[in-house]
Amino acid sequence: MTPLEIVATVFVVVGTFFGLVATVGIIRLPDLYSRLHAASKSDTLGSVLSLAGLAIVLGLTTESMKLVFLVVFLFVTSPTAAHAIARAAKEEEVEPIGEGEVPWTTDQEEGNS
Amino acid sequence: MVADGHDVLVPVGDSETLRRTVTYAVEQAHEAATESGVATTVHFVFPARWRIFETDRAAVDAANSLLDRVVTWAAEDLDELIGEDEPPTVDFESGTIGTGEYVFSPADFADVVGRYADANGVGRIVVDPSFRPGGSAPILRSFEEELANRGFDVLEAPVTRRTRRRLPFTDIGAPEFALVFSTSFLFYLALGGWLVTDPYELLTGVVTAGVVTLTLARVALKGQLPKLRVVGMSVVRLALYTPILLWEIAKANVALAYVVLHPRLPIDPRVVEFDAAVWGDMPVTTLANSITLTPGTLTVDVSRQHFLVHALIPDAEDDLLEGTLERLVRFVFYGRESARIASPRERLEDTEGENP
Repeated sequence: MTPLEIVATVFVVVGTFFGLVATVGIIRLPDLYSRLHAASKSDTLGSVLSLAGLAIVLGLTTESMKLVFLVVFLFVTSPTAAHAIARAAKEEEVEPIGEGEVPWTTDQEEGNS
Repeated sequence: MVADGHDVLVPVGDSETLRRTVTYAVEQAHEAATESGVATTVHFVFPARWRIFETDRAAVDAANSLLDRVVTWAAEDLDELIGEDEPPTVDFESGTIGTGEYVFSPADFADVVGRYADANGVGRIVVDPSFRPGGSAPILRSFEEELANRGFDVLEAPVTRRTRRRLPFTDIGAPEFALVFSTSFLFYLALGGWLVTDPYELLTGVVTAGVVTLTLARVALKGQLPKLRVVGMSVVRLALYTPILLWEIAKANVALAYVVLHPRLPIDPRVVEFDAAVWGDMPVTTLANSITLTPGTLTVDVSRQHFLVHALIPDAEDDLLEGTLERLVRFVFYGRESARIASPRERLEDTEGENP
């Protein structure tokens, strides 16, 4: 194996590991909000690392360009999607486990006096 | 609602029917003054979109020169109504309002204008139909309706607008069109390989970019086209920010992996609220997404600049209130000076000290 292939393999293996962490996290964590942490963070890094590994193997080609675009879009869409789910849960008044109160209505909705 | 006197308030903004709106307001005030025999005042107010401590000199100067022009026009109109040598029946006042807060939607603008009107005992508001503060999204009530709901007597100035010729499906101008079109065209070419010379590919690219632009340009661009220099600086600073963010993401994942794989699952979930010192669509979005990607925190809800964050691991709340990310995002969008700001924790303690 060339050094570049070794680096790429490490990327893919670490990426897969974080993918596994995300899966375990979704199963083990107690409530919707905590599970979203696993879904948004580990999943993003897992896919990004795997894609980056593939891009390294392919070198500077159109295909690796597309992979880079995928990485960029994942960085933008993954937290946005997690936020959308969390917000929907909040609007449905899903109670989180743990300390702190969730204000079901924000100051803004209570009226501007 | 106190409407003593017959004072008139005119929210002023850059629009093509502003000149005639001013004439109409002056006529209204003059009529009221002659009927009641008491001098009336016309208040011209410029609802600001900036905040006083983030002042962009150019925006302030533009607002002031617009207000000066408006007062000059109003004085001319009054002279025509009553003649040069008569004692004036109408006074003029002008000012900028809403600099202390981040005004955003038509409702926010109506709040700011309404508060000024209440403070000065104005009951009648003349609005310029082509001045749309806070935009005119169909899901929002318009500025006029918001004001009318607050109990003001709202008069829409009877001005006619020039009809603008538009491309189908859009109401965007040529520069916006060019920007969205070139971006989508370059993206198409990038996906097809960087050096596309095949005329067929170029043609399909033009067609695709054209369809995208015609249907989506209004969604892609909101408000005014940003200045190239400002965007350029932000992009450069964003490039500096990216490695820091990547490092934070790596830390976040190691921390989360530790928690998830630990046999006892050592989590400490809690909900944290704080006000971030960033505003505007892009900075708030960047901060919200950065929070989600960094150790132990997840943005649940954002309204204007109020963040509701779910923290999963024990130190996450502290990290968040240290405000490192917030400073970085301010650095990216507002420049290096703005990055030096008290952390959310210190700000929270300050306000608690003021109103115990």
